Amino acid sequence: MLLQIILSGILVGFVYSLVAVGLTLIWGVMDIINFAHGDFLMVSMYTVFWLYTLLRLDPLASLPIAALVTFVLSFLTYKLIIKRVINAPGLTALLATFGLSLFIRNFAQYLWTPNYRFITTSLVTDKKLEMGSVIIGIPQLVAALGSIMMTFLVVWFIKNTKTGRAIQAAAQSRDTAKLMGINTEKIYAVTFGISGACVGVAGALLATFFPIYPESGALYSLLAFVIVALGGFGNIAGALYGGVLIGLSEALGGFFLGTQFKYAIVFLIYLLVLQFRPKGLFGW
Amino acid sequence: MRKIGPVLLVLVLVLTTALSGCGQNQSQPDKTDGVIKIGAILPLTGPASATGVKLKYAIETAQELINGEHPEIDLELAKTAGLPNLKGAKVEFIFADHQANPEVAKSEAERLIQNEKVAALIGCYHSSATKPASQVAERFGIPFVAGSSSSAALTERGLKWFTRIAPHDGMETKLFFDYLKYLNEKYNAGIRKIAVVYIDNEYGVHAFQMVEKEIQNYKADGFELVADVKYPANVSNVDTEVQKIKAAAPDAIFHASYIGDMTMFVKKYKEMNVVPKVVLSYCGGYQDPQFVKNLGKDADYFAGPNATTSALFEKMPVLAKINEIYKAKAGVDIDGPTLEDFASAMVIAEAINRAGSTDPAKVLEVLKNHEFAAPYFVSGKIKFGEDGQNVYSASVMTQIQNGVYEAVWPETSQTKEPIPAFPAWDKR
Repeated sequence: MLLQIILSGILVGFVYSLVAVGLTLIWGVMDIINFAHGDFLMVSMYTVFWLYTLLRLDPLASLPIAALVTFVLSFLTYKLIIKRVINAPGLTALLATFGLSLFIRNFAQYLWTPNYRFITTSLVTDKKLEMGSVIIGIPQLVAALGSIMMTFLVVWFIKNTKTGRAIQAAAQSRDTAKLMGINTEKIYAVTFGISGACVGVAGALLATFFPIYPESGALYSLLAFVIVALGGFGNIAGALYGGVLIGLSEALGGFFLGTQFKYAIVFLIYLLVLQFRPKGLFGW
Repeated sequence: MRKIGPVLLVLVLVLTTALSGCGQNQSQPDKTDGVIKIGAILPLTGPASATGVKLKYAIETAQELINGEHPEIDLELAKTAGLPNLKGAKVEFIFADHQANPEVAKSEAERLIQNEKVAALIGCYHSSATKPASQVAERFGIPFVAGSSSSAALTERGLKWFTRIAPHDGMETKLFFDYLKYLNEKYNAGIRKIAVVYIDNEYGVHAFQMVEKEIQNYKADGFELVADVKYPANVSNVDTEVQKIKAAAPDAIFHASYIGDMTMFVKKYKEMNVVPKVVLSYCGGYQDPQFVKNLGKDADYFAGPNATTSALFEKMPVLAKINEIYKAKAGVDIDGPTLEDFASAMVIAEAINRAGSTDPAKVLEVLKNHEFAAPYFVSGKIKFGEDGQNVYSASVMTQIQNGVYEAVWPETSQTKEPIPAFPAWDKR
């Protein structure tokens, strides 16, 4: 039983991580908190849902398309909204993304009605691994593995490609990077795009087992904020550990203290970390 | 962050109310200008908006029946255009959105009464929203007819201006135990251990309290509570919850859940191989036809009380005709909660018509003393008791069989016999 709870917690945690990675990336590079992050997740889920409903495309097959859609959406968000406010005081960008979040959410409700939708059949639906008393759902397992792969892909990209190194440079100092001939404008837009692709992948992976409705991203984005704070703002590896930690504390705390407290425990950890280690558990 | 807006709004409203010296006499009865406004506060956005939008369609259906001429439908107000006793005055329902937020429900109720000058209020689906909204109505002396809010606490407050159509969760809980008893006696189902799974809000918590209270009366029948699992109103997963339920291995599970979380639970039950004998749901997610649409075959064998089911349309011609109009708007058949909110709209319009005025005192007099015909309910009529509760329970026990909500109990309105055991998930 304990093993089962721990495993479920870890699997859920990896998906949280991937949502948080996108958020922490934007924060690390340009000090912006993107409130619309969760809504990009929802857009990705709807993309997958419609591809599935209209073209019978399996969620896993439409994953790259969903990632592309949210990449473009994020890229445009930067070009059309963030660019104009990036030099304004910090709160302005935050409020701009908050407004965007409200807009996307309500527009989604207008377009697609607030009904809860599910993808009822897919490659992974209803499949599970049974090992003695431990049961692992394949959708959750695939989601966790996919999240880990995507996270490592992002880390690899930032460490080993020219664009990635430019992102690092821009994160360290925007002005110096500019002096070195880096087009920070482009780099910022690409960073936003990558962040969007992260939630795009997360959304496609979640869509196989999570209800799809205009507010489905809301809770995930809230948890992502906690994870980002826990892992250290801008720290990608920290987001990965933070996500697992949150997944585990939610599962274990929920089981032993009462499920009604599961998020209370998560947010308590958040408050404690902010008090005693404001730079995050894995921050530098 | 989100809450600041409504709080400010409430503050401003409270201040303006205080300044203008509000009172019961402020609303001007009888000055209808040919249109009578009734406020409907519903969750049109937010987590329960899927249901809220359907409730809106149902109330619009009622509005159409009242204002248009529908001689083919055997209802008091359907035959004539408008309200005959008020010179054919039309009824207009003014919709407001409470976003599943009690504070917003309160401020919207104040806005509707003060700015829109509504003659009465209906709503709010969520008991947690109905509670503050109806308190506002009480303060202003305006009738409030709740449709589908089922928390028993609502009618236990001793409010003068509050009435409710749906059976409350106390009545539902009793129905649950009686149904289980019936299954044990007739089918030898052997149901003893009961788990309650409920959402952490007014509706869920109160449902659980009712189970705790009611089970005392059924101790002799061998029922015992083996687990209670309360989960947050917004969940990203229900893994932990289902593991707790599985550990308790109940024969019957009582669910107080909405459609999104309920669907996640069923999926998890399947994955974790949780096989109870019976799952009964309080008025909420199970009653939403989207439940069958989302889950397909996996929705089979779940059960719960319902004010109506499509299987009953054949037996009830008035209901079938109402459904025709509703379906043209909503695209789906009318369901239990939706029908209850439809009923609340019809009843308040009938009460105003019989009172012959929008004078709140006269309308209340009619509400409290008259009986209303409701041929769209199995019970056939509506009558409010002293506490404002509809004394006729509008519910039948339904069970999903082959994707259809069949009426299974009581035997008098049965469309199919109940199946008192879940087959294993892989043997469906």
